[in-house]
Amino acid sequence: MPELRIEATVNGRKVARAAKPHLRLLDFLRDDLGYTGAKEGCGAGECGTCSVFVDGVLLKSCLVPVAKAQGTTIETVEGLGHAGGLTVLQQAFHKAGASQCGYCIPGMVMAATAALRANPLASREEIKERLGGNICRCTGYQKIFDAVELARDVRNGRRPASALAEEDPVDGAFIGASVRRLDAPSKVSGALKYAGDMVMPHMLHLAVLRSPHAHARIVSIDTSEAEAVSGVEGVITAVDVPGIDGFGVFVHDQPIMARGKVRYVGEQVAAVASEDPLVARRALARIKVVYETLPAVFDAHEAMRPGAPVLHDYAPDNIVKHIPIRVGDVEKGFAESDLIVEEIYSTQQVEHAYLEPEAGLAYVDHDGVVTIVSPSQNITHHRHMLSRIIAQPISKVRFIMSPVGGGFGGKEDMVYQGMLALMAMKTRRPVRLVFTREESIITTAKRHPSHTTYKMGLMRDGRIRAAAIKLVSDGGAYGMSTEGVMRKAAILAAGPYSIPNVKIDTYGVYTNNTPSGAFRSFGALQSQFATETHLDICAEKLGLDPFAIRRINAMRDGAVTHTKQTLKSVSMLRALDATEQVSRWETGAPTSRGDVRRDLAGEGTRPPCTLGTRFANSAGKDSESEVA
Amino acid sequence: MLICDEYLTPTSLEEAFAAMACHRGECRIVAGATDLLPWAREGRAGDVEIPTLIDVSKIPELHERRADGKRVRLGAATPIQRFLDDPALAAALPAMPRCAVWFADDQIRESATIGGNIVNASPAGDGIPPLMAHDAVVELAARRNGSIVRRKVPLVQFITGPGTTTLAPDELLVAIECDALAGYGGSFEKVGHRRSLVISIVCLAVLVQLDGAGRGFEDVRLAIGGIGPVPRRLTAVESFLGQGAVTAARLEQAAAMPVELVASRTRQAYRRDIVRGFMLRGLIDAVRAAGGGTLTPDLARDLEAVYA
Ligand SMILES: Cc1cc2nc3c(=O)[nH]c(=O)nc-3n(C[C@H](O)[C@H](O)[C@H](O)COP(=O)(O)OP(=O)(O)OC[C@H]3O[C@@H](n4cnc5c(N)ncnc54)[C@H](O)[C@@H]3O)c2cc1C
Ligand code: FES
Ligand code: FES
Repeated sequence: MPELRIEATVNGRKVARAAKPHLRLLDFLRDDLGYTGAKEGCGAGECGTCSVFVDGVLLKSCLVPVAKAQGTTIETVEGLGHAGGLTVLQQAFHKAGASQCGYCIPGMVMAATAALRANPLASREEIKERLGGNICRCTGYQKIFDAVELARDVRNGRRPASALAEEDPVDGAFIGASVRRLDAPSKVSGALKYAGDMVMPHMLHLAVLRSPHAHARIVSIDTSEAEAVSGVEGVITAVDVPGIDGFGVFVHDQPIMARGKVRYVGEQVAAVASEDPLVARRALARIKVVYETLPAVFDAHEAMRPGAPVLHDYAPDNIVKHIPIRVGDVEKGFAESDLIVEEIYSTQQVEHAYLEPEAGLAYVDHDGVVTIVSPSQNITHHRHMLSRIIAQPISKVRFIMSPVGGGFGGKEDMVYQGMLALMAMKTRRPVRLVFTREESIITTAKRHPSHTTYKMGLMRDGRIRAAAIKLVSDGGAYGMSTEGVMRKAAILAAGPYSIPNVKIDTYGVYTNNTPSGAFRSFGALQSQFATETHLDICAEKLGLDPFAIRRINAMRDGAVTHTKQTLKSVSMLRALDATEQVSRWETGAPTSRGDVRRDLAGEGTRPPCTLGTRFANSAGKDSESEVA
Repeated sequence: MLICDEYLTPTSLEEAFAAMACHRGECRIVAGATDLLPWAREGRAGDVEIPTLIDVSKIPELHERRADGKRVRLGAATPIQRFLDDPALAAALPAMPRCAVWFADDQIRESATIGGNIVNASPAGDGIPPLMAHDAVVELAARRNGSIVRRKVPLVQFITGPGTTTLAPDELLVAIECDALAGYGGSFEKVGHRRSLVISIVCLAVLVQLDGAGRGFEDVRLAIGGIGPVPRRLTAVESFLGQGAVTAARLEQAAAMPVELVASRTRQAYRRDIVRGFMLRGLIDAVRAAGGGTLTPDLARDLEAVYA
C-alpha cells in the first residue's frame, strides 16, 4: 500500500506525516494527530460534528480524502482560541448555555465561526441558514443561535464584552439567575474526551460481525481463518464467556454475543481485534458462520398468537411482560355511559439518534481489574451483571462512565461493553470499539412501537365513566427495558383524569425486530398519545370544547390515581389555562371554526422554512417569494 | 468504507489519462468524493475496495470558468458553491443560485462538484435540471492512440438512467458548456424532508424571458427532476407557453401539463400535487425575476382567487 506523504499546517504547526491512502481527513486529524475535537457523528456528511477549516473553507472532514489535505492549512476547533483561551464565540456559547451533551458543539462552533467570518453582521435567519449542515440532538437550536448572535454583537460593539461574563446571582440566589454550566468550556473548546476519543498505548480496535438473519439457528462458527490473519490479535464468540451469560435491565435474556441462535438482524455474533481497524474489519469476512434460518415473526399481535415462532424458551407465549390494572367495574361503567367511543392508535419505532455513536474502551489494569470506560447510563447495574458474566468478583470489575454524547435512554443497555471486556481479558491489551452510525441505528434499542385499543364511556356532560385500554408493544428480540416501559405505560395509560372504572392491560412482546428499550418518557408517550387523541375525538362527538372536557375530568388536589397514589397538589388546571391562553385557542367544539384563525402565524409560531436570506442581503429587494 | 491501495492526484489531463490507462479496470475517478464516500457505507455498497482512486479535482482545466454573452464554459470540477458566490456565473445562470442554496449545505457545496453531480446521474440530482434548461452539452475526453480526443454530448442524451451515462470507462467529463441566459428570470423549486442536507423529492428549474413590453413570454425553459428515472426538459409546456401572454389562466393550464409525467417508483400522488404547485410558483417567481414585477401581483391575486 503506497502511503501518502501529507505535509500541511495544522493549527499553526507544520505537520509532515505518512498516511494510509484510504484515510479521510477526519481519521488523519483524530487518529494520527490526536485532534479529537472533530467528531464522527455520521461519517456521511449529514451531521457536521467533523467540520474543520481547510485553507479557510469549512469542510466536513468525513467527506474529505486525506490526500486532499496535502499542502493545505487546516484549523480545527482546538486551534480557534489561543493558548487554551476561548474565542468570543466560544465564550458566548458558554454564556448562552449552548451546550448539553456537547457532542455537536465543536462542529457548531466551527460552523458559527465560518458564518461570522463570511458575514460579521449575519442576521439570525442567515445564521440559521449557514448552520444548516450541523445537527444538535439535545441543546436545541435556539440557544445556539442566541450564542452566535451574542458573539456577533459583542464583536461589533453592539453589546459590551461584559455580556459574556457570568451574571451575579440575584440576591445571592441561583434560582432564576442565568448560571453558566461548569462543563461548557471543555465542550466549546473541543477538549472534552468522549469514549471514542480516548486512546491507550498498545490499544486494539474491535470490529463486530453481525447477523444477516432475523431468526436463525447458529449451526457452527469457524473463526480459524480470521485468527490466522496477520495483525489479528484476537477473535471472540459466545464460547469465550467464562461465567453465566445474559444481561438485560429486567430479565437477563441477552447474551454478550449470539448463543445458539440469532434473534434479529444486526445481532452481534463474533468480534475481531487488531491494531489496525481495517485489518479487523477485513478479517470479519473470514469468519464462517453456518446458519439454519428459522421462521421469524415481525408483528407483536402475530407473536402473541398460539403457534407463532418462539424467540426465547423461557417465554413460550413470547410475552416479556403483561401489566394489568383494574379499578372499579368497567362493564358497569360502560353500561351507565351515554356514549361509548372506541378507537385504535398506533405509534412507530423511533431511533434516539444521539450524536455520539456507542463507543467504549476496556482494559485489564495492573491489579487485574477489568475496566470498561463507556457512556453507559447505568454503570452500577452493568458492573453487577458483567461480574457474573465474566465470573469475576465485583471488586475485579470497574465501570467508568465517560461523557455521554446524548443518551435519551438509548445507552442504558449493556450491548457492547461485554464484548470489550472479553476481548481485553483475552488479549490482555486495551481494546476500543466505536460504532458506525449505521451500526448504532441497526443494532441498538429503539422506542417501543405501540398499538392501543381505547374504549371510553362518557356522560353527555363530558364526565368519563369508564376506560378500557389495551396497549400492545413490540419489544423486539430482547427484553431490555420493556418491563419498565410497560409498567410506566400502564400507570399513565388513563391519563391525568379521574375515572371511576378503569381496566388497563399493557403487553410487551418478543418479536424478531430490533429490540425496543428505554427512550425519554419511557412508555408515557405511547399511552398519552392515545389518551389525548381519544379525548379530542370524544369532545368532538359530544360537541364539547377539548379544554372543557379535560377540565371536567382533570385530577385535582388530593386525587387518587388509578394505581392508588394520592396526589397532594395537581397543577393540571393551571397548565390547561396557560396552554389555552398561549395557543390563542378558539373556544368551542373541534367541529366549529370562527371567521379568523387566530391560532395561525403571530407571536410564538414559526414561519415555514425558507432559504436564501443571503440573496435578500445582496439584492436588498423582494427576493423572498411567498406566492401560490 | 472506501478502501484503496493507492490515491493519485494528477495535475494535468495527460497525467490523469496515463494513470487511468495504467490502472484500467481497477480505478475510480474521484472529484469532491461527496457521493463516493457515503455510497461506500453499510446499507448501500458497504465496504468497497478499489485498488486506485484518481482524484481529478486538482487538474486546472477542470476548474475553467468562462461566461461571455452567449455561452458558459464550466470545468467539471467546479464546486457547487461557486454558483452562489461567483456573480458572473449567477448572472449567466439565473436559476443556479437558488439551486445551489438548497443543495446540501455550505460545507458540502465547497467539495461537491457539478461534474460529480452529472456523472452520478441521480434522478434527483439538483444541478441537472437547470443545466438541461440551459441546453447544456458535456465535453468528454479520452486518450486514444496517444492523443487526447474529445466529444460533446447534449446533457439530455448523456444521462441514460438512474446512475447511468454514456461515459466510456476511459473517458473523463472535462467541461460543461451551456447557453448564457443573462436577463432571464430564473427560479428553482425543491422539496425534501428538511431545509438542509436533503435529497429532492421533486426539483424544478424555470427560466423565463419576457418580451419588450414585459407582458408576454419571449422564451420559457423548464426542466424537472425527481419524477422519473432521469431529469427531463418539459418541452411540451415550453412550446405551449411559447410566446404568448402571461396570464393566470395560461399558467394554470401549463402547470397541469407535466402532472401526467410523474413516473417515480414511489409517492406518485404526492409528487403530482407538488409538480402543479411548483410549476405555478416557479413560473411566477421567474416572471417576477425577469422584470415582470408589475404583472406578478395580479397573477398571484388571480391564482389565489382560483384556489381560495
Ligand atoms: C449530506 C449530503 C447532502 C447532499 N445533498 C445534495 C443535494 O442537495 N442535491 C444534490 O444534487 N446532491 C446532493 N448530494 C450528493 C453530492 O454531493 C452531489 O451529487 C455532488 O455534486 C457530487 O459531486 P462530487 O464531486 O462530490 O462527486 P464524487 O463523489 O467525487 O463522484 C461522483 C461520481 O462521479 C464520478 N466523477 C466525478 N467527477 C468526474 C469526472 N470529471 N469525470 C468522470 N467521472 C467523474 C465519480 O467517479 C463518481 O462515480 C449530497 C451529498 C451528501 C453527502
Ligand atoms: S458530517 Fe462528518 S461525521 Fe457527520
Ligand atoms: S449538545 Fe448538541 S448533540 Fe448534544
